Amino acid sequence: MMTERIRKLTELTLAGRMYAEPVKTRFDREDLFLPRQQRESKRLCEYIANQEPVLTACSLMTGYFNCDGSVVGDAFHRMGHAAFRQLQEDFYLKTVDNLSTMEWQHATADYRTVLEKGVGGILKDIDASLLVHEGEEEIEFLNAEKRVARALIQWAHKCSQRAAELAGTVTEEEYRQNLARLSGALLKVPENRPSSFYEAVLTIYLCFSADPDSVGTLDRYLAPFYFDDLENGRLTREEAKEYLQELFLMLQAATHVSSRNFTRGGESHFCVGGYLPDGSDGFTDLSRLIIESLMELPTWIPQVTLRWTAGTPREVFRFMMDCERKDPNKRIAFQNDEKRLKCYTEICGFPFEKAVAYTTVGCNEPAFTGAVTGSNSKVNFARSMATLFHRDSEKILDAASFGEFYRAYLDLLFADLDRAYDYDDKYNRVRAQDINYLSSLFFNGCIEKAKSLTQGAGDVAVASPMLIGIPNVIDSLIVVRQFVFDEKRVTMRRLVDALRTNWQNDGELRAEILKRGDFFGNDTERSNEVARMLYRSLYEHLAGKKNLFGYPWLVGDLLGYNEHHKWFGEKTKATPDGRRDGDLLKFGIGQSEGKDRNGLTALLNAVAGLDPAGIGCGSTVTNITLDEQLIKNDAYFEKTVDLFETYFRKGGVHFQLTYVSREDLLAARKTPEEYANLRVRVTGFSDYFVKLQDSIQEDIIQRTTER
Amino acid sequence: MKAMLFDIQRNSYVDGPGIRTTVFFKGCNLRCGWCHNPESQRPESQILYYRDKCAGCGRCRGAGDDPDFLCFHDAREVCGREYTVGEVWGIIERDRAYYDASGGGATFSGGECMLQLDFLEANLKKCRENGVHTAVDTAGCVPWESFERILPWTDLFLYDLKCASEDLHREGTGVSNRLILENLARLAERRGDDLVVRIPVIPGFNASEEEMRKTAEILKGIRRRGTELLPYHGMGEHKYAALGRKAGAFRAPAKEETAAFEEILKGAAAPQAPASGIGGLRPESACATIGEKKNNRRERRKDKENDDGQSGTSEAAV
Repeated sequence: MMTERIRKLTELTLAGRMYAEPVKTRFDREDLFLPRQQRESKRLCEYIANQEPVLTACSLMTGYFNCDGSVVGDAFHRMGHAAFRQLQEDFYLKTVDNLSTMEWQHATADYRTVLEKGVGGILKDIDASLLVHEGEEEIEFLNAEKRVARALIQWAHKCSQRAAELAGTVTEEEYRQNLARLSGALLKVPENRPSSFYEAVLTIYLCFSADPDSVGTLDRYLAPFYFDDLENGRLTREEAKEYLQELFLMLQAATHVSSRNFTRGGESHFCVGGYLPDGSDGFTDLSRLIIESLMELPTWIPQVTLRWTAGTPREVFRFMMDCERKDPNKRIAFQNDEKRLKCYTEICGFPFEKAVAYTTVGCNEPAFTGAVTGSNSKVNFARSMATLFHRDSEKILDAASFGEFYRAYLDLLFADLDRAYDYDDKYNRVRAQDINYLSSLFFNGCIEKAKSLTQGAGDVAVASPMLIGIPNVIDSLIVVRQFVFDEKRVTMRRLVDALRTNWQNDGELRAEILKRGDFFGNDTERSNEVARMLYRSLYEHLAGKKNLFGYPWLVGDLLGYNEHHKWFGEKTKATPDGRRDGDLLKFGIGQSEGKDRNGLTALLNAVAGLDPAGIGCGSTVTNITLDEQLIKNDAYFEKTVDLFETYFRKGGVHFQLTYVSREDLLAARKTPEEYANLRVRVTGFSDYFVKLQDSIQEDIIQRTTER
Repeated sequence: MKAMLFDIQRNSYVDGPGIRTTVFFKGCNLRCGWCHNPESQRPESQILYYRDKCAGCGRCRGAGDDPDFLCFHDAREVCGREYTVGEVWGIIERDRAYYDASGGGATFSGGECMLQLDFLEANLKKCRENGVHTAVDTAGCVPWESFERILPWTDLFLYDLKCASEDLHREGTGVSNRLILENLARLAERRGDDLVVRIPVIPGFNASEEEMRKTAEILKGIRRRGTELLPYHGMGEHKYAALGRKAGAFRAPAKEETAAFEEILKGAAAPQAPASGIGGLRPESACATIGEKKNNRRERRKDKENDDGQSGTSEAAV
């Protein structure tokens, strides 16, 4: 049960009273005469020094601060720094030729370093790096890092002072002792290596200010402290739970209540379990405690993913699914390490011990701890299919076989992909103009290479533009093969004419396609084969290619927070899968508006077998809507656990579940006030259904409910 | 060799242990008035016509029973088509991994699957050869020799027992239950460890204390693995209309009624009944109430829309 202290903190958090309000800082105009890196880092230090910690009588942790964007190079904002913001003004949600657009960014600090040596140890690393580097820019960068690291230590001391002051005013003995303990600890961490589980959690709490995104592989960083303290009788499981809960409440509080994203679980996301560098499964008692701590809180940020391995005991998988089914706030998702690590080692070429350091962030994007995500772009994947039928149809009218048709299609697809991936590089090039002073302290390679985070400092990262409309393309290919070539029900000319008139002159053909189409998700030989053929082509085209920082290109199918599927769809003409001009595009894989008719095992088989090579292990998501009887009834629930465990064994990469019925969703649209608490999985994040944009609501309503 | 089937449902949770694929045979020799799959009764393919969905477009004029004809409004469908053993196996084998993980397998149901015995036997053999667990869901109104044919290839029998009184049985199903009870006793003797008895709970037919006590008396002598109660639900009624027939007037039992019958049957546990699961399967409760079988996916979707909350799906051990 939650303690009274945590209950109070929860109330304050959900009321928005734990938000670290930025303190506006005036800077000396004479700074403008300083060299760039000196100026920016000086101002950043002054900003940090000027902040005030969030402290209440019942606090046992503090030190998180928010940046207001007034200085360049502050926290690694999802919205980025000056150059990134300029980029957003010009390209964010503004597509290039209905092909490419850009969105936010993600990064995950590597807390292992600061937990191993403290900020003091990082300062020593900076000194060592200064001896190696000679370039003026590099030395300026390292000196800036030094300033910022010291400012962070000073900030902790200020927090300590404030905690001591507050302790003097608190009458309740337990709370007074807590504040005194906090004050003492902040004189020690994050400057020094923590010597207890409490200090380790506090270190993360404070350093999260530098990268307010994901806490990464928390159960790994904290494990040495947790097990050591437990063994030596310095910590109880209950105490550990309280510390973790205070950390999680800070993650919730970090998003302002007035923000549109306040209710969106994707604001912070981390992982438990997964392969450890020695090849064993990493789910421990600490992982379990982390989940138990989180599930007790009535919050929605952070989300958490179980990284499943072939060595994950069924009991652990069942535990996670049990927590998932009981969680009204839909915080738990599932990733398959077997498939992901195959991709990261075989396609990306990362050593196993580095590949296992991935986590999931935001809407289920994979990110490596200590690295930035390599890509910010969204791509209209269905554009080339529309182009083929509406502009270049002479290339396919005489196609003698499906193979010939497919080759004509691939030419257009690859031209689009190359151009879109080139745009992704361009977005990154602009982003690299920013220097991330604060965040770079906690990311791998920045200090050693004397290079900022967004300039490609990390050694392990992937670039995965999100391709919107993959399901439309797969189904379009299937329809062409089935109707034109296999069954010869229609000629290519008839299909082209139908699409060019937006099906107006041939509504019967569209109706027949929708009813009879052998669509993806039905686990038939043909539909599986076509889908795999497309993924194999993507693999052959992309494997070995890298972005401008040398990060391997992968395929993703996420949507993110915005309605790209709507905006791209509005400008994309009719496609052979039955889509009309302007209809929404589909994103993710395995959510198919009733086109899958052979049941859930068929859908899961199709998705699991889609991509044997694993090129699709970028930012990918499989949303499944289940009849809630399948998890509410205990006997059925056990079967559902077996079902999804088998799906992973067969090669599925990801899944997350929603249990709401289509009827409820339609009702919620009519009378939103009665469904204010209804949370659903959107793309990779969960949110209140009634708060979503219309087009996103529409996508969820269209998903097949599996029974 | 071919057989007339009316559905093959993957990912079934209700037709035996684990995750299963259920093959529904068309044709039955009982005519239970409460049957929620009236389209399963006749052995030949039939056209179902849903008047409420018909847009009057006239496309189906002259289509006859062409199985390839497609109504764009879902108002007209052909129920039943012939399958080969290879076709059925091709679907069953796709979900093998799920059976292995969950202790599931293939269930052959109907209609009455034992009326197309050669085909049933061939399918069971195919499953057995390939290590897939097999269940046969039967009403048992067939010669004992038919059971002899499939006994070697069947891992589990789901045996429907509609009621104990012969007259009532004849009234409700059109046939005597003498053969059914004889077969049940012989099956229990031979394969009691692999036998689950399933009893529908139909108010207006067998849902009386007297009838359930008689049933319990019979069950006392029946060695079996478990007993399941299947409460009536009215979700197949629209299909009677689609077949041009009138649905019988039945109602779903209240949860308390079903619970009372569970109590009665509790006293009927056969002394030799196995204490736990067998054949590598997870233990099942000795008697449970489960949702009435829902034979195809479309129906189950329909059910969801119509669900009046009466059809119990909670499991209660007896």
